[in-house]
Amino acid sequence: MEHDLKRLLAYHTVENIGIIFIGLGLALAFEASGMRTAAALALVAAVFHVLNHSLFKSLLFLGSGAIVNATGERDMEHLGGLIHRMPVTAVTFLIGCVAISALPPFNGFVSEWLTFQAILLSPQLPQWIPRLLVPAIGATLACSAALAAACFVKAFGSAFLGRPRSQPALAARETDRWSQSAMLLFAALCLLAGVLPGGVIDALRGMSDLLVGARLDPQAAQPWLRIAPVSADRGAYNGLLVFAMIAFSAAATAFIARRVASHALRRSPAWDCGFPDPSPATQYTSGSFAQPIRRVFGSVVFRAREHVEMPQPGAPGAATLRVEVHDTVWEVFYLPVIRVVDALADLLTKVQFLTIRKYLMLVFATLVLLLIIIGIWR
Amino acid sequence: MIRDWLTQLVQLAIVLAVAPLLTGVTRKIKARLLRRRGPSPLQPYRDLLKLIRKETVVADNASWLFRSAPYVIFATTWVAAALIPTFATGLTFSAAADLIVIVALLGTARFFLALAGLDVGTSFGGIGSSREMMFASLAEPAMLMVVFTLSLFAGSTQLSSISAYMLGPHMGLSISLALALVALVIVALAENARIPVDNPATHLELTMVHEAMILEYSGRHLAVIEAAASLKLLLYVSLIACMFTPWGTAVAGGGIMAYGLGLAFYVVKLAVGGFLLVVFETGTAKMRVFRVPEFLGVALMLGLLGAILLFVSRVSS
Repeated sequence: MEHDLKRLLAYHTVENIGIIFIGLGLALAFEASGMRTAAALALVAAVFHVLNHSLFKSLLFLGSGAIVNATGERDMEHLGGLIHRMPVTAVTFLIGCVAISALPPFNGFVSEWLTFQAILLSPQLPQWIPRLLVPAIGATLACSAALAAACFVKAFGSAFLGRPRSQPALAARETDRWSQSAMLLFAALCLLAGVLPGGVIDALRGMSDLLVGARLDPQAAQPWLRIAPVSADRGAYNGLLVFAMIAFSAAATAFIARRVASHALRRSPAWDCGFPDPSPATQYTSGSFAQPIRRVFGSVVFRAREHVEMPQPGAPGAATLRVEVHDTVWEVFYLPVIRVVDALADLLTKVQFLTIRKYLMLVFATLVLLLIIIGIWR
Repeated sequence: MIRDWLTQLVQLAIVLAVAPLLTGVTRKIKARLLRRRGPSPLQPYRDLLKLIRKETVVADNASWLFRSAPYVIFATTWVAAALIPTFATGLTFSAAADLIVIVALLGTARFFLALAGLDVGTSFGGIGSSREMMFASLAEPAMLMVVFTLSLFAGSTQLSSISAYMLGPHMGLSISLALALVALVIVALAENARIPVDNPATHLELTMVHEAMILEYSGRHLAVIEAAASLKLLLYVSLIACMFTPWGTAVAGGGIMAYGLGLAFYVVKLAVGGFLLVVFETGTAKMRVFRVPEFLGVALMLGLLGAILLFVSRVSS
């Protein structure tokens, strides 16, 4: 529902912090119950996600910075079609989007997979309450992963795909070489941590040993570079093999399609079911993309309301659609605090502008009050 | 070792070869149930051949993403389908990926499909992508809850272990299992764009979800996407068959007869699965788009309930 690219990324950090804290919380719960290996697994999952988040969030912020530099726009409603004008930024931003949406074969998936494995160990916990809560946490985690995918389809789709929605987006140029190489580096690291997660997990062994007194089995000993944090029977993942299989079958299909299929390829105006629309304003925007999700989830969580004003048929006025969204966390937790601080500050401002007589009275009254308190104290 | 590789290769070939037939058979049965004659079950193969031979038309402002997405979608779906033990367990690659990976691979395919829908910048592509992602935001957690339930039973997320556990002596009927099955069927209907959620045969633009995303595709790109859609249907039927009715699947180390028998059982399971799907589809009407979240919410809640029941009932054991 957020249309500002950088604020969208910032809000998304909240989700990732949540994933990290799920791992940390599970690690504490396991540790308290003496399940040291499980605690090590949850802890490794959390720290792995910290690392991943640092990689793909930096990548995405660099990408959005490149967009802002090129177009001067942070509002996705004014972007579009940048994939043609900023190809390197587009590829790296896409990799960041896939990684942050926890999709294989990139790194975000691995840490989320480890977290799921930790959750699946939790029925062995002796206490009742975490046992009841953990499946709900798992469902929430799964839900947030799916929503993240929707959010980043929206972000990439409205910024890079489609047709440009404004003049600056049309005139955008690719960023300089140095920015490109930084983004390429992060994208490569995202892929590397995704296809060779065993190395990262092994690097975190000492840390989990220090904190919970247990370490996972060395993953380097696993055959074929796969990871199997608890045992191969419980669950294993081989990022390299999955990546190789996808790459191989995609290449094979493309090759066969080249060989067998007709080579004829024609460029033509978009079909769009026979309604060729010349104006880019008829495209789906990020607002319209988010509308179904807003209606399903937002009406309760964000108290999202739509106000539609339709002029009568024949009336020349413009139709307007206004969407009202409340950030519940901001309003429930932060605004009351801000209001109290504001009110106190108002009171104090009155004290600031008193006459000298009133100041003296205040000082005297304070003195008397303090003496009375000391008298009662004694 | 060699046998595992062989099984894996046969599996890769079989899912690819059988998938259009499953689609064709379901269309045929559906037509017969509606007292139409219907095209031959082999029609999807002919369609694919026809599309491959045709000229590919690409919209003016389509990017490289539009042209490469079909292959990515097809490859991820194919890999996911190849990881499910269909007629025999002991696949080489099944140790490389568990059930969560399969769900996530389908997620990758969906991600690229939705992006491809947005690429040309037409309103129909956008409407399809947006709705698909909305459905997915409920269907994917529901699916993962089913995965949770089953892996809590089997103590593993590996499909071969789950399948073996279901065959084993510890398995009785259970409420959690029934809930998981219902949830998985609902997810399968939604993910394959079947009738209460989406209509695979629609030609009315505003009711389309999956078809709207691929509206701009033609020629060989469309052929690859259609093949991927058939594969996905096959994948879900095989997944349900593998987890809930694993009887007859050849286990590693069986003789050549066991493999033949496994294959025969697999074909029967696919036919039964396709038949039940069509009967259900013919009996229901399509929902409004904003009723679908309630439908999928039921799946999510059922899956969650199944998992919670298991978490709680593990006290006694």
